[in-house]
Amino acid sequence: MTSTNSTWRTPLIILIAGCVILTLSMGVRHTAGLFLQPMTADHGWTRETFSFAFALQNLVWGLGSPFAGGLADRFGAGRTLFVASLLYVLGLVLMSVSPTPLTLDLSAGLLIGLGLSGTTFPVVMGVIGRHTTPEKRSLALGIASAGGSFGQFAVLPIGQMMISTYGWQSALVLLACGVGLIAPLAYAMADGHKPSAGAGQSVMEALREASGERSFHYLFWGYFVCGFQTAFIMLHLPSYLVDAGMSANVGMTAVALIGLFNIFGSFMFGWAGGRSSKKNLLVWIYGLRAVAIFIFMLVPLTVAAAWIFAAVIGILWLATVPLTNGLIAQIFGLRYMSMLGGVVFLGHQLGSFLGAWLGGRVFDETGSYMLAWSLSIGLSILAALCSWPINEKPLARLEAAK
Amino acid sequence: MNPKWRWFLGGVAVALAILVLALLFAAYQMPELLLDWANLRYCG
Repeated sequence: MTSTNSTWRTPLIILIAGCVILTLSMGVRHTAGLFLQPMTADHGWTRETFSFAFALQNLVWGLGSPFAGGLADRFGAGRTLFVASLLYVLGLVLMSVSPTPLTLDLSAGLLIGLGLSGTTFPVVMGVIGRHTTPEKRSLALGIASAGGSFGQFAVLPIGQMMISTYGWQSALVLLACGVGLIAPLAYAMADGHKPSAGAGQSVMEALREASGERSFHYLFWGYFVCGFQTAFIMLHLPSYLVDAGMSANVGMTAVALIGLFNIFGSFMFGWAGGRSSKKNLLVWIYGLRAVAIFIFMLVPLTVAAAWIFAAVIGILWLATVPLTNGLIAQIFGLRYMSMLGGVVFLGHQLGSFLGAWLGGRVFDETGSYMLAWSLSIGLSILAALCSWPINEKPLARLEAAK
Repeated sequence: MNPKWRWFLGGVAVALAILVLALLFAAYQMPELLLDWANLRYCG
């Protein structure tokens, strides 16, 4: 691992802080669905009022990520994380006292969306990437990614417990206190960003350079498919199982298996990315997702089939995160890793929006999820084909700077 | 650090991680969690 600008801010400390930040930010975000029923019941809002605020949040999260990444690259990740965590906390607290749909849009939609932009993968991965050697970078990004996966797995039952015990308003304030821990942790991530190769490049020049590279477009569209599939499966798989006559317990265990195996998958593919070609691993991930969904559609829908599918798809779930961010660092360098990671993450969020919305739309139109599953298989094959021609070699500019 | 202690502490950390994950997995065995999270209750 590379040296840092202070004695206590070692790469290990930065990695641990990054993992905790992702655990908190991704975990709290994952509990959103728990608040729909109690909030709408208390306020007399429609389901659409609540859903719109969270659709807005996803969009703001995606659109804000390149800017948050750019700010982290320009002014430092510590400052960006600090400000974003305050916006996230403010959003949660204001959400708990939102009296109208508009204030819900501003708190849950705008403020939490902006908070997520600055406290999730692009910004955190940029700091970790800069403090690890190329040999250990993929493993470190895999560990951080596993932190985000752990958050999604761990915070959901804790959130439910808080709502059941203290009520939804106090639960939101308690979750805000948890997110508030990101602010002091941001100090550990204040790495005094040291520009290396590409130091003379402006943000716009870096963006122009990346958009002129085919590999960047392939990464963007691959991530788009990743977002489409994860949003569609997470949102619609439980309903799909319950519609097939299975109990809510079966659906819940499927969700838990995805979360559990996601932790191992993120770590495992991050580790593998340091030992073999990252783009080949992406081809395998997208290809295996297509195979897994295809087999799941072919075999009779039983409890065992649902759980095996959940475990397999869980391994492949966020495994794309360390590989995609690792490829950005490898091809374009570390200087604008957060900003370029943010642009690619925008693709992920656009895919998420489409996956969540289209899944419901297809079901309403046809009375079945079959078309959406088929679309998911087709997109997965396209993403595998898109990842195959990615040129993993660093740009000539970076080679010349060595 | 003595390698023996390193292995011991590593083993303790792995055992604790497995325990935490098992407890969390057990926490998922509440049907109301899914009914709320996936909004199945809301749909009736």
